[in-house]
Amino acid sequence: MTNHGTGGDGARAGRTWSLTKHARDNLTAYTFLAPFLIIFLVFLVYPVVYSLYLAMHQVPADSFDVFGGLRFVGFANFMKLFTDVKFWWSVAMTLYYAALIIPAGIAASLILALLLNNRLKAVAIYRSAFFLPYVLDMLVVGIVWTLIYSPHVGILVRIFESVGISAFTEKGFLGMPGSAMPSVVFANVLKGAGFGMILYLSAIQNISPSLYEAAAIDGATSWQRFTRITLPLVKPITFFMVIIGTIAALNAFVEVYAMTSGGPNVDVGGRALGATWVTGYYVFDAFYNQWRLGYASAMSYILLALTVIVSLVNRKFLGADNT
Amino acid sequence: MAVEKTSTWRTIALYVGLTLAAVVVLFPFFWMVVTAFKQPGTAFSPEIFPSAPTLDNFKRVLGDFGFGRYFVNSVIVATTAAAFATLFASLAGYVFAKKQFFMRDRLFGFLLLSLMIPGMMYVVPQFAIITKLGWMNTYKAMIIPHLANVFGLFLMRQYMMTIPSELIEAAEIDGASERQVFTTVMVPLSIPIIATLFLLTFQFHWNNFLWQLIVTNVERLYTVPVGLAMFKSAHEELYTLKMAGSCISILPIAVLFFFAQRYFIEGMTMGAVKE
Repeated sequence: MTNHGTGGDGARAGRTWSLTKHARDNLTAYTFLAPFLIIFLVFLVYPVVYSLYLAMHQVPADSFDVFGGLRFVGFANFMKLFTDVKFWWSVAMTLYYAALIIPAGIAASLILALLLNNRLKAVAIYRSAFFLPYVLDMLVVGIVWTLIYSPHVGILVRIFESVGISAFTEKGFLGMPGSAMPSVVFANVLKGAGFGMILYLSAIQNISPSLYEAAAIDGATSWQRFTRITLPLVKPITFFMVIIGTIAALNAFVEVYAMTSGGPNVDVGGRALGATWVTGYYVFDAFYNQWRLGYASAMSYILLALTVIVSLVNRKFLGADNT
Repeated sequence: MAVEKTSTWRTIALYVGLTLAAVVVLFPFFWMVVTAFKQPGTAFSPEIFPSAPTLDNFKRVLGDFGFGRYFVNSVIVATTAAAFATLFASLAGYVFAKKQFFMRDRLFGFLLLSLMIPGMMYVVPQFAIITKLGWMNTYKAMIIPHLANVFGLFLMRQYMMTIPSELIEAAEIDGASERQVFTTVMVPLSIPIIATLFLLTFQFHWNNFLWQLIVTNVERLYTVPVGLAMFKSAHEELYTLKMAGSCISILPIAVLFFFAQRYFIEGMTMGAVKE
């Protein structure tokens, strides 16, 4: 590649045959875009529209022709959702999941980042070790945790027994309504903390050392330096963590599938409801186990609506924060 | 908190803290590996290192239970999908970074908007499309629907925007065609991001369990995670085998991470830092 001046030649040349070049540019651009756009339209845009169509239909249970026997039911699926206790319960469980995983995820990420933010020789190795689980498969992680959380003979039950706690022995951590959700969240936090850790670490390392020096001169303790300097200055990351935590809760599925299948059941006013029955799992269950495609589609539209609301709230707060 | 004077005690305390954290974070994987080497039926023995380690679990899982076949399927699906997703994203990223065209910015905004859509939303309608196309139980059903990676396109565009346009103009003046500009200028200069995106999409497809579960119901097409899930429900009690299957499932990604962690970490956190 030879260097032809400063680009002025190219600009002038462009102007002289601008019309044809304009048309040609469009043609080239869309040729390059075509493979991506075709897949995008067919498999990412059309499904969102088609999902709404499905949400307004019902698949007869005895239909052999999967999508030929669709019966139009209008908004019936949505109406049914609004009176479905299991659905509202799943929304509550999703919020509960979010309420656990967001603070726990932020705390774990921050602790790891603070530990790494020191000039130590082996820091890079620890950083890799903490990040590794994030790239590994959630399904596998979930299956391994079912072994660790097992009743009677599971390793964690044994560890708890050795310090005199036998409350989990009989049913295991995932078998008890009270501990099931926190256990799922704990497994997930350990897997995901490396991601937040990297974000916090780079934010902390961007803080000017002079701020800490000035605070030290003023006699601030290290805890004060953390709460008055570090925390406020990493707030954008914390905010981001809240958003992705919420989105993760709205999408939570694989961890529940792998560990609890939505259970164990809790008796709520005479109804058996799952202690980890999050909405993402209900969508899967309605589709895969019950073959209620219209109902599952309607539910996924509610998920979309919730996601949009979260994003709008986020934008409002972020906008107010940064400008 | 940059550390000016690190005392010995402080250093020791930090190493203890870091090591404890590493033990907790990595414990599940350690336990998985240990259990996979235990004698069948002794998955729950509390010994930290098996007294009589065995490779039986791996042999049985790979042979009797078809994980060898699942592994080949996973490699086929993840490699093909990663290659095409990376190619499509780099083609599209190039024009978004370097070309002016009709509706460019609106289109880009629209593409980014799709990142907001919850993944669970796609499951039913995508399944419906695959059924209608008659693609059930095919590799293409596992691969094609996820070839438009918007996050990957975003990464590509951001990276390619930093490549000086003068280089493209120079090549054009030298008579290079559009295709040549892409293959001889853009691709060689974008190798780091291409490698990153290939690894990220490979990892995504390797782990993309739900979709592969939905579009396959014949064993010969199972990928490792699907095989593992089916094994899990069929043989709830065979934990040593399940752990051997789990090891096989995460090994390729762990190895890739070992050799290319910089790409993984930068690629995965790049979008977030740009926020």
